[in-house]
Amino acid sequence: MTKAQFDSKILIVVLLFVLLVILLALGNLQIIQGEKYGLIAEKNFVRIKSNSPVRGEIYDRNYKPIVLNKPSINLYILPGKIKDRNKVAKFVSEFFSVDFETIKKVIHQNRFRLYNEVLLVQDIDYETVVKAAEKFDRFPSLEFKTEQKREYSYPNHFTGYMGKISDKEYRNLKDKGYTINSSIGKSGLELYYEDLLRGEYGYEILQVDASGKSFEFFKHNLHQDAVDGADIILTIDNDLQNYITSIMPSSIPGAVVVMDVTTGEIIAYVSTPNYDQNIFSKTIPETVWNNLMNDPHNPMLDRVIHGSYPPGSVFKTIPALLGLEKGIIERDTKLISCDGGMQVGNRFFKCWLHSGHGRLDVIDAIKYSCDVFFYDLSMKFDLTDMEEFTKMNFLTKKTGIDLYGEREGFFPTTQWYVDNYGKYVNILGQKVNLAIGQGEILVTPLQVCSHYATIAANGVWRQPHLMKKIIKDNYEEKKYYQEQRLPSKSENIQIIQEALYETVNGSYGTGGAARVNGVKVYGKTGSAENHMGSTTHAWFAGYAAWEKPEIAFCVFLENGGHGGSAAAPIAKKFIQYYNSKRHSEEGK
Amino acid sequence: MIRLKQFDWVIFSFLLLIMLIGVVAIYTASTTKTEQGFDVKNYYIKQIVWIFLSLIVLAVIQIIPKPIFEVLIIPSYLFSLILLGLVLLAPEINGSHRWIALKGFNLQPSELAKITTIMMLAKFIGKNNLQEYNILLRAILIISPPVFMILLEPDLGTSVIFFVIMLSMLAFSDLPFFYIILIASPVFSIITSFSIIIFIVYILILIFVLYKSKLSNIAIGFVVAINAFIAVLTPLIWNGLKTYQQNRILTFLDPMRDPFGAGYHIIQSKIAIGSGGITGKGWLLGTQKNLNFLPEHHTDFIFSVIGEEFGFLGCTFILTLYFLFLIQIAKSVSLLNHLEERYTVIGFLAYLTFQLYVNIGMNIGIVPATGIPLPFISYGGSSLLVNVISIAIILKYLNERSVFK
Repeated sequence: MTKAQFDSKILIVVLLFVLLVILLALGNLQIIQGEKYGLIAEKNFVRIKSNSPVRGEIYDRNYKPIVLNKPSINLYILPGKIKDRNKVAKFVSEFFSVDFETIKKVIHQNRFRLYNEVLLVQDIDYETVVKAAEKFDRFPSLEFKTEQKREYSYPNHFTGYMGKISDKEYRNLKDKGYTINSSIGKSGLELYYEDLLRGEYGYEILQVDASGKSFEFFKHNLHQDAVDGADIILTIDNDLQNYITSIMPSSIPGAVVVMDVTTGEIIAYVSTPNYDQNIFSKTIPETVWNNLMNDPHNPMLDRVIHGSYPPGSVFKTIPALLGLEKGIIERDTKLISCDGGMQVGNRFFKCWLHSGHGRLDVIDAIKYSCDVFFYDLSMKFDLTDMEEFTKMNFLTKKTGIDLYGEREGFFPTTQWYVDNYGKYVNILGQKVNLAIGQGEILVTPLQVCSHYATIAANGVWRQPHLMKKIIKDNYEEKKYYQEQRLPSKSENIQIIQEALYETVNGSYGTGGAARVNGVKVYGKTGSAENHMGSTTHAWFAGYAAWEKPEIAFCVFLENGGHGGSAAAPIAKKFIQYYNSKRHSEEGK
Repeated sequence: MIRLKQFDWVIFSFLLLIMLIGVVAIYTASTTKTEQGFDVKNYYIKQIVWIFLSLIVLAVIQIIPKPIFEVLIIPSYLFSLILLGLVLLAPEINGSHRWIALKGFNLQPSELAKITTIMMLAKFIGKNNLQEYNILLRAILIISPPVFMILLEPDLGTSVIFFVIMLSMLAFSDLPFFYIILIASPVFSIITSFSIIIFIVYILILIFVLYKSKLSNIAIGFVVAINAFIAVLTPLIWNGLKTYQQNRILTFLDPMRDPFGAGYHIIQSKIAIGSGGITGKGWLLGTQKNLNFLPEHHTDFIFSVIGEEFGFLGCTFILTLYFLFLIQIAKSVSLLNHLEERYTVIGFLAYLTFQLYVNIGMNIGIVPATGIPLPFISYGGSSLLVNVISIAIILKYLNERSVFK
């Protein structure tokens, strides 16, 4: 006889006991305290309020401001207090000159958020605020709040901009404390370092009735303080950045990157034409937006990393290095004589100099940018070798800069040709073309700059980056980046360095326009044919040395003409500027 | 095979009625009042679909021949252990590994494990003339693997359910009272060890109870020694925990420590239920519900909506119905011939009652917060299915019992 063979009375007694406990607790809540809770519910006394942290500001390497917070007066609506939706929408749209339908839509979308303030209009000027406030007694649902907006010191493509959180972003990120009214980084560094810049939202629990009496549901942890975002010190030098922006041709789109050879720090990051990011601090008027979108030069495109282009002759350092590395050529090896071109299979490939260069060694081939030398050289290695070597040098490979959406670039493989041109494609002809940086190859100006920085650093590749330091609670934290020795031998790199020096400083070198007194400028020109227009892309990439190599640069002008005549003079100007700044700083 | 005459239509009708109340509650819980009218989400339709699916499963269980059914117990126990292992490898959802995301819904293996573990336990301790130590050993061996894996998820609340199920089943076994106290008392020791005076009072009560149960002095000495050992050990372990781990446990016991998380939800639930008063605010008209203070009020906090809209009278009506249902199941225990069937029913009963108590207790703020739904009423396919299966098994046992004792 076991206990389970007893009848079910014990079970029933236990069940009735549980029921009694629940009913007693319920009775206490609903009958004895019912009135109190009814009042709390009616007045909505217990609520969580979220407090926004102050967003981190962004400064250049000399602590000069790039992005600062400025006060901004914003208009909010409390959907629970709306008397007449149409009237309030009409008032707002007329008084603050915003679209009536947009306002109506926002109010409609948030009709259930009775007790949540909903952002309607941002960044209202003070006079409008004063005038509008007089009429607010007719619209008790409206209120102004002074908050912060971002102010960008100058137009640029690296800081990006902020915007109002989208429904999708809000759904994914609300656990981090964002509200429906939050602003969030939409592009550039504002997006990349969003978590760092934002800080942490704070909370406060409200459990006080109208007379100030606390309900004391919660006794501990009533506050969770907001943690302000960290300030960020960038590697950018505002002076150089602005100087370069000012010397860029106004009618030709382009990009310039200047990097510190010894660290990978990006000192200037220019893409033109640009646009003023401050327009995003409030609803953008349709005309402004349409102008931005319809501009054929696409000002919102960041040409430094979001554009990829055929490099033309600035690419020639790669086949030259590969030839030296593989022992196909040596310093003095002269290849086939250039008489204005070369027959490859059934096609005649021209050299840019139709009269021909004669027989050249690698240094002169780079100096005069002779195409035939590289046609001949490319016949001596596989396409796969060239593809791998290019990637190994971080061209057509992401550099990992601290921005999103960096383009990888492109280098075709044999398989790619077979897939796109069929089995009988003439790989030889394609390879010859690729060796002078033409054909399907695409690179970003940043990749080119980083490649020339690697040459300047005798083969050490340093990850390009924009963030120098984080400042949090007066404590500075330095960031460290990847550094990698690329496999090329330093004696081979020195041969390339010599060639780049000759290009700028030797007689009849193609880069003569970048010569600067008192500075050792190394560089390579490029004029790349392309599908975007009849004129070539103008490139000039290289580095400048004083006691030691200091800065590497890449100048790119979209359909800007010839590298030697269009791009090199820009490099000359900013190297001169950098040189004089360097002297004045040394003098201090 | 099913014998319609002997089928327990009373239990079945209660089940249908309670699930129907669930649909009504889900309908209102997922409805928001607007200026134009009501904005209804389609959760209630999904729940109806799940009810139909569950009823089909219920019918199938009635039809399966009993020998096959019994042979399946061990494999399904092992299968649920495998699922519990797999869920630990699945990606985290809401900070723990409780769900396996399948197309369309999230499967919670611990739900299935409850049923299979109860049946496994009943099969192995539901035998006459088992030695005392043997009962205890079997119970611990069967219950440990699922509890251990569920603790790893981590899901403290569900592990506690397993513990309660095991204790209630053992309470009806041949195991002497002494063992039950031996298993249960350390829990109280842990709680009371934080104050020496309270612990001494507790030990004195324990000794008194054991003495009254006519236990030998050796047995009493043993229980007291174990409790004292645990009481000494607890503060040592506690101080060894990191602050955030301590906070997590304290918040589990007292959600009011966490005003921005669990505490906030419980307060909002209490406000909703309390403001319902005696008669409630009326069907679809709960103001707290319409303000969306509680994120998922069609699942774990559905009772707050019932309390707000139907008031004390409505709650009492539904609870009475619910308990009549449970009492009807309790009554059926003595009708069953086989010991292991009785254990199974006791296990299911303990499991349903405990979930009901923990869920409603959380809604009215008398029990720590855990993610346990209200059986048959909360929205959720896999939990509904598992709960209906447990009733289906009870109905099957009742249906196939021999009328001759």
